[in-house]
Amino acid sequence: MDFEDRILRDLVRRGVRYADIRRTVTENERVHVRNGSVESIASALERAVGVRVLVGNGWGFAADTDDSDEALKRAALRALEVAAASHIAASAPVTLSETDAVKGSWSSQWEIDPFSVPIDRKIDHLLAATEPLRGDARIHQVTGEISSYRQRKEFASTEGSRIEQTTTEMGAGIELLAISGSEVQRRTWPNPFGGDYQARGWELIDELDLAGNGPRIRDEAIGLLTAPKAPSGRFDLIIGSSQLALQVHESCGHPVELDRALGTEISLAGGSFLQPGMLGSFRYGSPLVNLTADATIPRAIGSFGWDDEGVPAQRFHLVKDGLFVNYLTGRDTAPVVRGSSNGTVRAETANRIPMIRMTNISLEPGEGTLEELIADTRHGILVDTNRAWSIDDVRLNFQFGCEIAWEIVEGKIGGMLRNPMYTGSTPDFWRSCDAVAGPGTWRVWGLPNCGKGDPMQTMRVAHGAPAARFRQVEMG
Amino acid sequence: MKDLAAAEKAVEMALEISSGDEADAVCMVTDRSLSRFASSVIHQNMAERAASLTIRVFERGSAGVATTSSIDKAGIEAAAALALDLARRSQPIPDFRGLHRSASRPAGNAWDEATARMTPAEKAESLRDVFERGRRDNLLFAGSFSTTSGALAAGNSHGVRQSAPLTAADISLIALGRGSASGYATAMSRRIAEIDVPALAAAASMKATMLEGKEETLEPGTWTVILEPAAITEVLDWLNNIAFSGQSFEDGSSLLVGNAGRRIMGENLTIEDDAVDPSFLPFPFDLEGLPKRKIALIEKGVARGPLTDKVAADRLGIEPTASAASLGGQERGMGLHLSMSGGDETLESLIAGTERGIWVTRFHYLNGLLDPKTALMTGMTRDGTFLIRNGSVVARLPNLRWTQSMVEAFSAIEGLTRERRIVGSYWNPLGGTRSPAVKIANWKISGRSGG
Repeated sequence: MDFEDRILRDLVRRGVRYADIRRTVTENERVHVRNGSVESIASALERAVGVRVLVGNGWGFAADTDDSDEALKRAALRALEVAAASHIAASAPVTLSETDAVKGSWSSQWEIDPFSVPIDRKIDHLLAATEPLRGDARIHQVTGEISSYRQRKEFASTEGSRIEQTTTEMGAGIELLAISGSEVQRRTWPNPFGGDYQARGWELIDELDLAGNGPRIRDEAIGLLTAPKAPSGRFDLIIGSSQLALQVHESCGHPVELDRALGTEISLAGGSFLQPGMLGSFRYGSPLVNLTADATIPRAIGSFGWDDEGVPAQRFHLVKDGLFVNYLTGRDTAPVVRGSSNGTVRAETANRIPMIRMTNISLEPGEGTLEELIADTRHGILVDTNRAWSIDDVRLNFQFGCEIAWEIVEGKIGGMLRNPMYTGSTPDFWRSCDAVAGPGTWRVWGLPNCGKGDPMQTMRVAHGAPAARFRQVEMG
Repeated sequence: MKDLAAAEKAVEMALEISSGDEADAVCMVTDRSLSRFASSVIHQNMAERAASLTIRVFERGSAGVATTSSIDKAGIEAAAALALDLARRSQPIPDFRGLHRSASRPAGNAWDEATARMTPAEKAESLRDVFERGRRDNLLFAGSFSTTSGALAAGNSHGVRQSAPLTAADISLIALGRGSASGYATAMSRRIAEIDVPALAAAASMKATMLEGKEETLEPGTWTVILEPAAITEVLDWLNNIAFSGQSFEDGSSLLVGNAGRRIMGENLTIEDDAVDPSFLPFPFDLEGLPKRKIALIEKGVARGPLTDKVAADRLGIEPTASAASLGGQERGMGLHLSMSGGDETLESLIAGTERGIWVTRFHYLNGLLDPKTALMTGMTRDGTFLIRNGSVVARLPNLRWTQSMVEAFSAIEGLTRERRIVGSYWNPLGGTRSPAVKIANWKISGRSGG
């Protein structure tokens, strides 16, 4: 990082209060099969360098996908020009919370390097999982996907931090589309959005058991074509781990982003109903609801060593025993709530501005099994696996559609129900939680497509969720 | 124009280096600056130079795709070798009959020098006036203001070559008033001179301040709605995905499947993909190098389409529509220039002719995956939702949730404005959408924010 050191020294000479330089090299590979043959194999390699400067109270950022030293030098000068422009309209005081200078490196762990596995093996694996699912005329499409991801990242700041990190991930999933007349049913395994993603290697793909779960979701997809429509009205709702993970994402993960709460994301993603005055006193959920941010969970894709401001990865409560107790913060936002950054500022690549992003945001497990939860429910509905999602701009009013539901009658699973939808208001919903199942139902789901920012940044985050029960939720 | 030369050179070199039976390549080089602001302060301010080259190599009908941000010789050689290697490990794409053998070179100007030259400082000066207006009106502004210049080049090993420089200016303004009152205005153009920033600030301010203190709420039910272009654009973006794309047509889930030539929506509705209209956001060719032409998707309520890339067109046995939005992407063709026809109304006449209705500025977080055959969607309103009673706007409303089939809604259009507006989308670097304000009967309101 000799050249970065020179650039940073030069920026200090030119009067910056703070500056950092990031470099990323991001590799993506995606193998996609459709209806028994390979639909696409695509690989991408993106290099980027970005320079962020704080001059007075004005931020400037400049980036280039040319990561040569010459391009870095140009970007540094351009960042100064942009920071100067920030002062023209107006400015507000910027205070950075303290953080220790760090010299270190971090890497996620894997057993079998995703990029060492031959493409042929990935194709064979997907075809073996999907080909047996074809044959029924109602199955219009069967697809499968295996993706591999690696990002190498370097960080250097005027405060003396020098950090290198590497994240390696894999993901895989299958999807069936069943159509009969005007009825369209989609079933996925293990999750929509291309499957599940973890900071692991090929060993994950074997564990996901795509082939073993294919026949079940095929039968479910076909069954859903003629299943009764899920009813409208208020019902006791048991939500499975996969769907609850997305519920956590939308109704907890986003509203606890402090930049949203302060209004700086309002133009695109929106604000937050959770305002700073509510910290420590607002009843977000029932006492059973404990939500955490934990960037240290091994093998989860929201984990790292340090965030993109050089702040260490941390674990902390967002909601404790139902009370709203903390935000996700960064160095320039934490002082607003009289705190220090809790290390959640990240950028998709070095040519994007780092901002507050979810890490691994989880609903902590309670007690018991899913079977016990069902047995304890006299009349209700069990839903799982997301089909559609929508929530308002302050994260209060939400509506989710799920791929599948089952009626619960006298503590037993009944028939399948199609097109379940449920809706509610975030705090009312979480306050209605009267049972959270135990660690046996808890699973961390990788979500590689969380959108935020302008230009849009797609961030890789994860959510741990057990199954849980919510009383008298509005359905339909 | 150095970006144009760089993009052309990268495509030429990629095609020269690539082996295999056939190959195509597309390169985009851009320079963009974007200022984000909130509470009338620029808080994120950036500039970026970016290059992206995608090479697709075919061997024995199998494709491999490699994308790189390095467009020097070494980067291109590595990408070409990787694409060939992936093609050799892949399998033939069923029914694919090969890349385009020729393509005419269309005219069309997507470039504006003044837009390309606009600096972050000039944007900040323009925003300073907006913020000053906010101080006078007791409002705070949030939003973003960006200008982009760059070039796209595309070609293939059969001699097809296309290239064009392009510019875009895009601004979104939210005016934040007392309580939760807010107003929104947006505009996009190839030419910065066509964006009237003060007028947009005035429009957003008006929405944020009108009927201050006159707030009502309403119960779920069916309502007449007047949707402004910023709301319609979200619907068009989802229809693009679930109804117009080659992928949705191929998998059978599109509402166009089985309805070709049948009237499925109102006679007063036409939706096209129109990249050739110079008054919209013209761009001359698709990413596979085929000249763009106007494609009808819904024509006076009758189902047409879909939009395809070459692979989907071959598999469906139809003429390609020059709608490749990537090389080998899962969408298999989609519209980057969706345009809805206008009518003969004005916004004022639509409101005046409404006995009981809701005027909607903008939608938030739509989802169109509930039931693709009826295009059942759900979403929220935001940044200016108003109650209309007896032809007058009488109160502010909270943000409302709606759940509505677009097949039903677009069969119940009661009026469209003559004026159409262009709205940008974050995912679309080459185009945007254009639509009038639209009055629709029997729109299903299913809830409200916080309730």
